[in-house]
Parts: sequence; C-alpha cells; structure tokens
Amino acid sequence: MSRSIPPDCEPNTTGTLPKQSRVLVVRRHHFLVRWSHWLNLPILLGLILSGVSIYWASPIYQHKPDPHTGNVDLAVDIGIWICAHVPGQHQYSSPPDWIYNHLSLGPGMLAVALRLHWLCAYSLMLNGMVYVLGLVMGGGWRSLLPRRTDLLDALRMLRYYLGFPFAKLAHRKWLHPLFNTKYNALQRAAYFAVPVAGFLSVATGWAIHKPMQLYWLAALFGGYNVARAWHFWLMWVYILFVVPHVILVFSDEWDTLRSMIVGWSARVEAEKVVANEH
Amino acid sequence: MNIEEGKKLHGILEERPLPVYKVAPRTLLHRTRREVLLFGIGAVASLTVSGFLLPQNTLSRLGAGRNTNSSWKEWFLNSALRIDDDVAEALYSGNRRVPTYTKCQTTSLKNNYNGATPDPGYISGWNLTLNGLASGLSLSLDIRSLLTRFSLHEQITRLVCVEGWSAIAWWAGLRFEDLLLAYPPMSQAKWARVESSVNLDASGNPDPYFMSLDLATARHPQTLLATHFNGQSLTVDHGAPLRLLVPVKLGLKNVKAITSITYVTEEPRDYWAEQGYSRYDGI
Repeated sequence: MSRSIPPDCEPNTTGTLPKQSRVLVVRRHHFLVRWSHWLNLPILLGLILSGVSIYWASPIYQHKPDPHTGNVDLAVDIGIWICAHVPGQHQYSSPPDWIYNHLSLGPGMLAVALRLHWLCAYSLMLNGMVYVLGLVMGGGWRSLLPRRTDLLDALRMLRYYLGFPFAKLAHRKWLHPLFNTKYNALQRAAYFAVPVAGFLSVATGWAIHKPMQLYWLAALFGGYNVARAWHFWLMWVYILFVVPHVILVFSDEWDTLRSMIVGWSARVEAEKVVANEH
Repeated sequence: MNIEEGKKLHGILEERPLPVYKVAPRTLLHRTRREVLLFGIGAVASLTVSGFLLPQNTLSRLGAGRNTNSSWKEWFLNSALRIDDDVAEALYSGNRRVPTYTKCQTTSLKNNYNGATPDPGYISGWNLTLNGLASGLSLSLDIRSLLTRFSLHEQITRLVCVEGWSAIAWWAGLRFEDLLLAYPPMSQAKWARVESSVNLDASGNPDPYFMSLDLATARHPQTLLATHFNGQSLTVDHGAPLRLLVPVKLGLKNVKAITSITYVTEEPRDYWAEQGYSRYDGI
C-alpha cells in the first residue's frame, strides 16, 4: 500500500487498538499494472474489430472464385453457412456479410477501420510500456518468469482443471495442486505468453505497415505475406487466452478479481509480515 | 560466468514473497473505496469514449440511432492518421532502397482501377503536361520524346496495396529524378500533384484521379515513371502509356495513365485522403 494518505485521515484510535484488530494484506498488483490491464480490454477489442474490417478488404484465406457469386473469401463462406444452418439466422438479410457484421466494425469500411486501428495500435504500444513499467516498479515481473519445473506443474494444473467438473458431478474431493508462488505454472505460462504475443503483434504490425522502410522486420517473419498471417493468427492468441481467463477468474474466489481493481489481496501467509502500516 | 555470478543472477530473477502489511480495517476500507471509485470512473470514461469513437455505420447497425459524428470526433481520429503519417515520414530515408526481386519471383498483378478501365482511345493523343516549372512555362511532352530523351531503368519491386495484398512485378521506366533534373521545378516547390484526367468512376463517367507526392520521395532512385511492364509497353490495365511507380508508397499513390504533373509549394489535394485515408502513405 502506498503511504499517500495523510495522517489526519487515519482513525485517531489507531494507537490504542489492540493488535488483533488489524488485518493482514499483501500488495498484489502495482497500480500501473492494474490500469494497463483494464485498458487492454477496450484497446484489444478495438484492434480486433477494426482488424477484421481491414481483413475484409483483402482476405488472407482465399479460394478460387465461386462460379455463381465470384466470392473468394473463406469468411464469407462461413457467414453463408451460418445463415443456412444456424437456427434463428435463416432470415438474415445479408449472409455473406454475417461474419463482418458480427465480428468486426462492418464490411466496406476500410478507411474508417484503418484510422481506428492506428489509434488503437499506438494506444496498445503506450499501454504496453505502462504495463512493463508497472511490472518493474512493483517487482511483479519476477513472478511471470518461467521456471524449470513449469512443464510438469502446468500439466498437473491442466489435469486439475480438466478433472474438476467430473469430480464435482461425482461429489468427489478434488484437491488443487499446492504451490507457494504468486501464480501457478499454467497461469504463469499464460501471463508470460500474452505480453510476448503483444510484442509480436506490434512487431508484425510494423512489418506489414512499413514493409519497405522496415523490410528487415518483414523478412524476420518470413516476408510481407507471411508476416500478415502471423499478425492474423496472433489475434487468436488473445481470444484463446481471454475465454479461460475470464471463466477462471469468475470461478475463483472474489479476492482474485478484486485484487486487480484494488491492488491488495487478503491471501496472506502471516509469517512474512514486512511492515506495519498505519 | 562463474558460480558466484550465476547465483547472483538467480537471486535477481528469483520470485520474492509478496510484501505483507498490517493495516487498520478502516484504512483499508478507505483505500479500497478510492480504488473502486477510480476504477468505476475509468470504466465509465472508456465506455463513453469507445462508444463515441465507433463509426456511425457500426452504431446504426447495432441499433443506436444517435448520431455521434462531430467535428471533434473527426479531428481526434484524423490526428491518429496524422501521427502515423509523421512516423512514416520520419522512417523514410532517401538512401534506403526497397528490396528487389528476380524475374521468377514476380506474381500476377490485377487491374485495380477503382472505377471503370478507360477506353484505350486516349493513348494515341496522350501528352504529359508539366506545370510549376522553374522556367515558368507549361510543357507538353509526348511518349516518344520521353522515351528518346531519358534512359530506361528496370526494376522488379513489390507493390503494396492499402487493402493488404501485394504483387511483385517487373517494371521499366525513366527515373522521376531525371525528369526533375531535365525540367527543374520552381525553387520553392515541395510537392508534385500527379494527375490522371482519363480516370473514370464505376459508371464510366470522368473522375480525375489526383495524388500528392512529396518531392523527397519523387527523387528516390526507385521512383519511376514506368513505361514498361513485363518487358512490354504498358497496357491500358496498368496505366498506358506512363504511370507512376513509387514502391516506398502505398499502391494508391502509383497513379496510372498520368496526364499532368504540377509542382507546388503547399501540399496538394489527394483523391484518397479526401475519402478518409492517410495522405503521406509511406510504407
């Protein structure tokens, strides 16, 4: 906790309170980490929505033109399939646009989408720097580093998560693997991988945005066209991360979600008290 | 690295226990309240800003009838474009050449005329008009005088479209720089307005295409006024008889069937910038 509260805000009985009335908390997330964490939400959403709109202008995954419609875009085929087979979508007015109408800003909006994409991209880079600054200032970066034992521990966690629903159904005890670190191995892998993916998204983004001045960067990812595919698939890393991330945080105790808002956590091992805070 | 240093490094990297504090419940309550309040303000603010910045088309499709278009919104979003253009300009180097390829690496290049492809009838009477010259004259050059006066340079480079696709093609043409040396622009000129008056819109009506090109880019050794494609004279699809080939810019700056070049001191109008795209377009 920061010591920013002036003494006159303190309850005046502090000095006379018995020791037991104090609570133990740990400082879990630096405030820069918390703020950049939440800002990622609108920024990444903006990047994905505008990004799919940009994808519309020249899809990476194309096939030979359809003899009837002339369509080449796989995303258009998926939209048509959804409207033909998914209940409730049969009356959809424009099946070829289904994907772009539901998962992007919309089709035929390249100029608008590019403008928003640049805005969000520069915001993401700034936000990423704030996040790293927060990790350094709060010392949180050490908790994200991979360990030699992580592979085995991650498998143990995976086994726990996979078995959890069955154990619940069978009313059997299913013990959470023990660990004495801030994150378990699976969390650590995810929280380490996402910033790496962020860095790669920015790098591939620059590679395809400035393929002439930064041609070496595009070459690093296998050339302009391959870098576009990298940039596309890196988007899926965030989507695949966010789904279990949100499910797990809600199925975990309230303390976990709260700590990302308020910074402190009440999960304390008492013997490690470093300071009395007034 | 000796063992001692290895241990030290390990000590730096090693995770430390989270710092534990004893806090009076009221203090904790105050701080928690402050953080939750700040979080709430931030959430409301970012929701408002996001909703405000979403394109009008998207909002209408989502059923929000409210019109969020305003001059402030345009100004804000356009500043993102301007910042990006400034970054592109800072990245540009007149000495840096773009990668070149071999003939077997070329790919097909589609005719990406935005509107209808012009009728080839214009080619026989074609002239290139130069304005804004140091001499103060207006010059008119036909293709034969261009081809005899200037030496042709071959170049196999990648053309990158703003839409995302790209094509590697084999071009030949005169250097824009050579044209600038032969017919120098007026001394204060910083820009070229490159125009094609034969451009058509989708329904086939005249729709002149005009582009701004900074003279620094025009002087780049790989900026050509192309006359040949795949070893043959340009076809109407690729902008016969003369097109701009500027590989350090997006494809939309590579004006086909150029009919006039005007040197000016202030940044001239730009066809696609007026439709919401960036205007420097350096890649």
